[in-house]
Amino acid sequence: MTGAAEFSGVDIDLLADYIGGALEGTPDESVVATLIADDARWRAAYETLGGRMAMVGAELGRLAPEPMPSDLAARLDEAFTAPPRLEVVHDAGPVQKTRKQRRWVTPIAIAAGVVAFVGFGLDYLAGRDNASDTAANSSAAGSAEQSRATPPTLSSGTDYTEATLAVAPSQPLSAASEPGETFSAQKNGDRAATDTTLPELSRLMPPEALQECLDLIQQANAGGPIDVESVDYARFDGSPAVVVRFTAANGVWAWASGPACGTPAGGADTLARVPVR
Amino acid sequence: MTSGDGATATSDADLLRAHVEGDKQAFGELVRRHRDRLWAVAVRTIGDREEAADAVQDALLSAHRNAARFRGDSAVTTWLHRIVVNACLDRIRRRQAHPTVPLPDGSRSEDRPSGVEPAAPVQDHETALLVREALAALPVDQRAAIVLVDVQGYPVAEAAEILGVAVGTIKSRCARGRAKMALALGDVAHPTEGNQEASSSVPSGPAADRRDQR
Repeated sequence: MTGAAEFSGVDIDLLADYIGGALEGTPDESVVATLIADDARWRAAYETLGGRMAMVGAELGRLAPEPMPSDLAARLDEAFTAPPRLEVVHDAGPVQKTRKQRRWVTPIAIAAGVVAFVGFGLDYLAGRDNASDTAANSSAAGSAEQSRATPPTLSSGTDYTEATLAVAPSQPLSAASEPGETFSAQKNGDRAATDTTLPELSRLMPPEALQECLDLIQQANAGGPIDVESVDYARFDGSPAVVVRFTAANGVWAWASGPACGTPAGGADTLARVPVR
Repeated sequence: MTSGDGATATSDADLLRAHVEGDKQAFGELVRRHRDRLWAVAVRTIGDREEAADAVQDALLSAHRNAARFRGDSAVTTWLHRIVVNACLDRIRRRQAHPTVPLPDGSRSEDRPSGVEPAAPVQDHETALLVREALAALPVDQRAAIVLVDVQGYPVAEAAEILGVAVGTIKSRCARGRAKMALALGDVAHPTEGNQEASSSVPSGPAADRRDQR
């Protein structure tokens, strides 16, 4: 550190270390002590800097407390402790939430392991009119936790290309016809064995494996936490792929990852990614 | 989670254990206990409220997911602070690695807070503002150490544990940071010149007026 003119000829970092006690028990401690004793410049700097550093410490200690903003505290409360809240309401369509509010819903719920791969939320994913979809709405009341807990997943079998990746799949999950139904993790596993999911992607069916994949996609995206809108077990350019649609700070993305997604070696196993809008 | 009446508060470790065992309220209670301190550390380290909010959220999400990996080698609060501080430092480093377009006034430094931290509602507003600016201008490692020790009042040993460095390193970072701030502030603080070594040494034990207990 280059010091002010008044400390010319003095290594201020070394002197600060001495004053701050960082040199205690080291050979440099006696070296600096000797310099202070024998060198007028060091002695003057020691006497001046010591006082100023103490004053700085005192001023730092007087900085006003910084309580967490109430909106952030509320978001954390909602994310970690509040009872489940519906994503969709009867007459108002999708609940309007801020980006940050929305993005908390899915990741936390996934992490909590509340597993339901299908549910009324798939109706929402499939593009049904929420305001008029009374079946979905009524089922939401009974499956609120599940509906908001996991990213809607489907096995569309779509063979995406880079040109079509941003286009939402037209085929909803078969279970979407039963909007009130939710599945436990075990049931979900059963579904994995019976539906059209490609066997190469079966590793990514358990929620833990899917979450690891989503984590690495989030990391690869480098846009902060992602709010997963859907996961489609499908293909990309003929190869098995999970196609994840999500919102992050850097936009809305459709992301195709291969079967190795979520593994230490595979990382996000990114095949393609395109902005949705 | 079985507590809540405040008479016999459940320990942090108990809450974390309860969370791991499936108590859906436990982690939220843990967050409520410590959120102000975690936020203060984050916002003063990273400097930007939006970024601090993101860092705290990321960190708590990570802690929520990885609670089972907590081995109890340190206090739960230390563990939480470590995760939050690391999230802040990661963001600062990413900012350095991927510089953004400078603001027209060129006031934004890539490793430096943007200065949007709110003014302290204290009588010595001017001095507090200058102190915060000087703090924000420090290298991030020094700033993080000073925030923990001098601003938040954590013992040096705990700050060392949070930042994953030796006690001597914390002492050095704090001392060098204070010296830099002293030079930057000049006579603003109107110090009483003279040797005040005893009071300027980095404390090595729990601060008597530990601010995190407020």
